[in-house]
Amino acid sequence: MAGSAVSAGAVAFVACKLPEHELVIESPVEMPEDLVRGEDAWYATSWGDATGGDGLIVRVMQGRAKKIAGNPDFPVNLGKQSSRYDTALQSLYHPDRIQQPLARRSKGGVASKLSWPEAERRFLDVIEQSDGKIVIVTNPLRGHLGLVATQFAGLFNGRHLAFDPVEQGVLHTAVKKLFGADRLPDMDIANAHTVLSFGADWLSTWVSPVGMSVKYGKFRGQKGHGYLVHVESRMSMTAAAADRWLAVKPGWEGKVALAIGKIIVDGNMVPAANSAAYRAHLPAGALDRVTVNGVAGEANSGISEARLREVAVKFAKSTPAVAFGGGSAGAHTNGTFNLTAIFALNYLSGAVGSKGGLIFNPGSPVVGVPDSARGASFEEWERELAQWRAGNVKTVIIRGANIVHGFPKSVDVAGALAKVPNVIVFASVLDDTAAQADLVLPEKTFLETWGSDIPEPAPGYQALGIQQPVVGSALSVDGTELLTDSRGFGDMLLWASGGGLGAADMRELVRKASDSLYDLNSATDSVSAPSKDLFWTGVLQRGGWWDTKSGVAQSGSATSAVIGTNPDGALSAPPHGEGEVFTLVPFVSNAWLDGRLAAAPWAQATPDPVSSAVWGTWAEVSKHDAEEMGIKEGDILLIRSTVGEIEALAYPHPGVRPGTICVPTGQGHEHNGRYAEKRGSNVFAALVDQKDSETGALAWAATRVRVQRKGVTTKFTKFEGNVEAYPIEPGVPILVVSPGQSAHEAQEENHEHVKREISERAER
Amino acid sequence: MTTQPETFGKHRWGMTIDVDRCTGCQACVIACQAENNVPLNTEQQYERGRAIAWIRVERYWEGEFPNVKARFIPILCQHCENAPCEPVCPVYATYHNAEGLNVQVYNRCVGTKYCANGCPYIVRFFNWWEPVWPETLRNQLNPDVTVRSRGIMEKCSFCQQRIRRGVRQAARESRELRDGDIQTACQQACPTEAIVFGDIANPETRVSKMRKDDRAYRMLESLNTDPAIVYLAAVDPDKAATGEAAHG
Repeated sequence: MAGSAVSAGAVAFVACKLPEHELVIESPVEMPEDLVRGEDAWYATSWGDATGGDGLIVRVMQGRAKKIAGNPDFPVNLGKQSSRYDTALQSLYHPDRIQQPLARRSKGGVASKLSWPEAERRFLDVIEQSDGKIVIVTNPLRGHLGLVATQFAGLFNGRHLAFDPVEQGVLHTAVKKLFGADRLPDMDIANAHTVLSFGADWLSTWVSPVGMSVKYGKFRGQKGHGYLVHVESRMSMTAAAADRWLAVKPGWEGKVALAIGKIIVDGNMVPAANSAAYRAHLPAGALDRVTVNGVAGEANSGISEARLREVAVKFAKSTPAVAFGGGSAGAHTNGTFNLTAIFALNYLSGAVGSKGGLIFNPGSPVVGVPDSARGASFEEWERELAQWRAGNVKTVIIRGANIVHGFPKSVDVAGALAKVPNVIVFASVLDDTAAQADLVLPEKTFLETWGSDIPEPAPGYQALGIQQPVVGSALSVDGTELLTDSRGFGDMLLWASGGGLGAADMRELVRKASDSLYDLNSATDSVSAPSKDLFWTGVLQRGGWWDTKSGVAQSGSATSAVIGTNPDGALSAPPHGEGEVFTLVPFVSNAWLDGRLAAAPWAQATPDPVSSAVWGTWAEVSKHDAEEMGIKEGDILLIRSTVGEIEALAYPHPGVRPGTICVPTGQGHEHNGRYAEKRGSNVFAALVDQKDSETGALAWAATRVRVQRKGVTTKFTKFEGNVEAYPIEPGVPILVVSPGQSAHEAQEENHEHVKREISERAER
Repeated sequence: MTTQPETFGKHRWGMTIDVDRCTGCQACVIACQAENNVPLNTEQQYERGRAIAWIRVERYWEGEFPNVKARFIPILCQHCENAPCEPVCPVYATYHNAEGLNVQVYNRCVGTKYCANGCPYIVRFFNWWEPVWPETLRNQLNPDVTVRSRGIMEKCSFCQQRIRRGVRQAARESRELRDGDIQTACQQACPTEAIVFGDIANPETRVSKMRKDDRAYRMLESLNTDPAIVYLAAVDPDKAATGEAAHG
């Protein structure tokens, strides 16, 4: 009986068991994810137009580029990337790529299609007839494309001018003045214990954001966690990552740095030699003229004395400590003063040329190839445009610089272009500047052309990134036709030079560079090969060349040994009329930068890290100001300066200094392909043309505006709210621990806190 | 090459996300879209609350000006061991495979959306429209990944296609799979290395070691979904001073 009962039980158990096929369910049909559909190839390349010199790899299958990622070998970004790299793929397959050359018979006439032989003939004719009155305008270019643009201009007795709507010239000037360095130093964040940054959104868009983010990851991974202080009027990505955000009033950054320096010196917090070095780089008596009281407080910088002292102690005591600044901190009439005062702090912490501080870089590994680039100053541009208006320039050739979009409205670039008989623009999508051109030449993208890039800042030693075509030409989906019949800018200039620049095309130039690197015969570089041909193959495979032992440069001697001479910034006068007065602080978009990636739909659809806004222009205002003015999210705001007015959707949040209004750059195009044109507003148009007193750079963060509601509210297009978010506990969306605390302890603490709140609420 | 490799079931895939390193840069979001043929989120889709993001970065404010902090956290399918989305599917379109993946079989899905209702992490997305790419942009679609059609559910697959490639590549080279051989697209992109993916069945992998960190926690742990993703808590020196940073 017993045996039978056991047996019956077993039978019953088996009968209740779920069938095997329900426990392990396999798809009856293999999905593409389950298959390996042919081999792919990853080609290494670089993209100097929009990175700080990062190395990339591009996945190619069946002649199509499929994905862009960071090159794991390349020493700047170590395989990492920003959201912009995949976005860039859409420049290759953009549906609005210009298919063939376009020309106008007269200014403002209708553009008609040309064949390439006709376009080439016209290009040559125009250059020959220019009599030296020719200007090449590009974005700031390092590497071989920069070399070719400059040499081509020289060959025809013209000049090469670079345009950067968000100028970095003040930064380069500050570095030169203080350290005698011709190129930006590597900021060794990874090995610093304290980082003090001002204005520069270095985790998002400033200088070399991917490389600096890689270092930030290491900074956070070190024992002790690292301590980041960021000084900026807006809660940028970098400010959000900071342990301490100091919401400074625009233009006070330099004085804040000086006050921190004074606290350190007066408190004898650092060795006397450091204090002496610091003093040597200040004007005589400068520290004596600074009072902490004169900087601290809401009436001054907006930062309390207690915070200044706290930061000073941290910077002096928790070393290595590095200080740097840029972005909005340099975009004032006292921009040079601000940045030099900030960088001078490195003398106090002993961070000049040392681990965890500023590491200076050696020059270009290939003779003559530019290793540093910046846009011409606004003042230089004003002089240049005056020449155009006066009819002293016959031909302007433009590439990678949307000058019609990027200058303040008061400059009237379109008017200046109208006075130039021959405006030739290279572009892959018709933008605002190309729309003004007499001749538009479709340009190949960086994925289709040869070139090179020298990282800036370099990683502390010599490095050169190679740009190579990863696809032959962009084809239609069925492969039967070309999407565009285009040419590379560099190739076109070399062809037009008729051999005058020593190479027939960009490939030949880059190959010569490879040969010269081989001749260095370094035992410590990234490619080892027995012949030049194999060396070239190695360079292409690795995406470039670098030599970790190529010598860390020492900083030179400071040119003037003093920080900038103008400590007081001046904001523009606000316009008369209705509305509250704000300081307008533009910021570079994390997704589409200054507009150069705005044509890509992925860029438009990438949520802004702070507001999560997409597909438009928004204005960040403080919650405090919004409440006072009755501004709600989605209200259309009229933002008016003395030179122009823009509209933007209001996005109130607690991470903006009251009295400032922050608007992203890069929208408001009249022309820029189907995804970008007539979308949002162009904040550059509203900027008043004030300049940094020492460099002549545009003080783009020093415009005061009046802000008022238009009286219309619309839906604010953003990601936030698309997905309902559940906190891990009431009031605790993200678990936060104190240093050394475990997650479990923090959770217990949160439980207690929530319980206490509930009981207090019940008692009430 | 088809069918599951011989090593299927030997690995167990998991991820660790260090919130302390996340800067909210969105690199993971766009890398995922590029890798997995996620449809373009148009302005209209955002306005209707229908944007699709297999991985998203949520931003939370804590405190008030000037002592305000913004915190970011990437959220994607947690590939739960006890996944609430699995038992509710009437057609077995979502199931748990032997390697710990919560798999979505697109050609089974009939679009009931029960799984999305059941998921506490809101990481499942319904295709309300046929995805539309301009003809030329179809060139960049990943041939390893299904282009989903209207009426079905989709979500993070832990880049299943990359797992397949990695496993088969190791088999082809007659070697064991190495830690780091397989990187999800979000991990590959993340500049601060906040995201680490790997085999949690192997205690020696980086992802396994990180899961033992003192800062490790699981999202909505009390629901007992047993996610394959472990988060490492954000570190805030201010919390030591106030003990209340998390509550602003």
